[in-house]
Amino acid sequence: MGRSRTAQVTGIGLLPNGTHSSPERELALTVVRDALADARLSPAAIDGLYMPAPRPWAEQKFVSTTLVHGLGIEPDRTLEVSTGGSSSANAFQTAVHDVRHGVVDTAIVLAAERSSTVETTGPYFEYILSTFDAEFESPIGLSVPGAYAQSMQRYCHEHDIDRDDIADIVVKNRENAADDPDTLFSEGVGRREVLESRPIAEPIRLYDCPAPCDGAAALVVTAYDVGETGTESEDDGEPPITIAGVGSHHAASHFLQTHGEPITELPAVRRAARTASQEAGLEPDELDIYEPYAPFPHIEAIITEELGLVDRGEGVDACLGGQTRPDGAFPISPSGGCLGRGHPPMVTPLYNYVEAVRQLRGTASTQIAGAEHVMTTAEHGHVNGATATVFARGRGA
Amino acid sequence: MTETAFTDPFWEALADGRFVVPHCEECDEYFFLPAPSCPHCYSRSVEWDDSSGRGSLYSFTRQHATAEGFPDELVVGLVTLEEGPRVLAEFDARYEELAIGDPVVIESRAYPHQYDRDRRADEPFFVARLRNGDSRSDSDKGRQ
Repeated sequence: MGRSRTAQVTGIGLLPNGTHSSPERELALTVVRDALADARLSPAAIDGLYMPAPRPWAEQKFVSTTLVHGLGIEPDRTLEVSTGGSSSANAFQTAVHDVRHGVVDTAIVLAAERSSTVETTGPYFEYILSTFDAEFESPIGLSVPGAYAQSMQRYCHEHDIDRDDIADIVVKNRENAADDPDTLFSEGVGRREVLESRPIAEPIRLYDCPAPCDGAAALVVTAYDVGETGTESEDDGEPPITIAGVGSHHAASHFLQTHGEPITELPAVRRAARTASQEAGLEPDELDIYEPYAPFPHIEAIITEELGLVDRGEGVDACLGGQTRPDGAFPISPSGGCLGRGHPPMVTPLYNYVEAVRQLRGTASTQIAGAEHVMTTAEHGHVNGATATVFARGRGA
Repeated sequence: MTETAFTDPFWEALADGRFVVPHCEECDEYFFLPAPSCPHCYSRSVEWDDSSGRGSLYSFTRQHATAEGFPDELVVGLVTLEEGPRVLAEFDARYEELAIGDPVVIESRAYPHQYDRDRRADEPFFVARLRNGDSRSDSDKGRQ
């Protein structure tokens, strides 16, 4: 199926990571309104609405219908996606496909999540347990950090990596996010603080885990008309921010259960990134900035390897050597990622997209000068399924 | 209408003190999690074969934040069975005494936690422990 049009992001809206006392649907309406204002569009322009399905503990279910009625819009297409951490990423990629193929002209992609309303030992954990194999695994009581702890342990074991060095990835990401008022923390952490924080699932400690919080974000995706030369944004001298490549892949795995493959490789990211970058006319290691969905620090290290930026087992060294810092050869998570920013999982992929747009507009908090291409990734489970999206300044591919 | 589940024989065997795993009659692969078709060759000729439950410790963690109904500390890991597949299991062992590559065995035991297992509520579950006295089975023993 060929594509006929180029999709672009014309508007972004977000609420800071933190604690929000308004209901999720009000947070959603706020970011939708802000994204539309940024795109200089009326709600009436929306003909597609894409979002994650509500979490099991969310007060408001049937949420897209609630929002459509509340906004007073009549979209041709609405979609609620439920693929765990990649839900809003899959919603976004579906919107991009729909815009490219002329199914819709103006798509709004949004997510709003309040983690502060749920006890982590109650309904949240009940849901988490139910995401493992219901018959053979859920009764064991494993948590998500408990799963990632085992890949961190294996990663250190297989590549002779000092676990303490992995803390530097947390230190970098917290530092990258510290000055951004839209993130959860206003201060960084030191390596010792990470390593001395309380154990959650050894060898993973508290500061190795992304902090659950509330948040919301929305993006407007429209078609970039090739024949159009005098658009408003170009009058302002602003180049369009196009979606130059999308890719996705699901490995034949379920959390830690593979069919013999090591748990220290992330083939879903590797494949998704290759597809997305090829569509943008680049190799996966040729992007200017990477904003991965890396919920634990060793996962950022392994993603660095899967992108071909370094050899297998050298992802931690890339951080220690400064290559992944904002001033390094290939900046990774200049926004801080979910470790630095805070983590409402339904919103995190969209925060990565907002960061990509800000970098390309030149308005990011930790700005990388002259960035032309940004790759973001998202994942769910133990990175069993992943998406990759390349944003380009200008027309792109 | 399907009256029985594909996994019924697993729980019947476990209640009988045996650990069984799915085996593909077509491509000869053992696999886990159980499924009625082979994830390697897609054959539907899958049978339950007896396993010794013996294997080596692939990875493990001690979890401190757990759900209601579970103990405050939970030792969980992956066992690589001698037949090949990996099985996730709780460990009846102290975290400090475990190392990657240790010889371990999976056994049946009464399910100890307050978690609703629905149709399997009355069945025993399985747990892993060190095979004491056995020599360590993996050359990469020692590092973690």
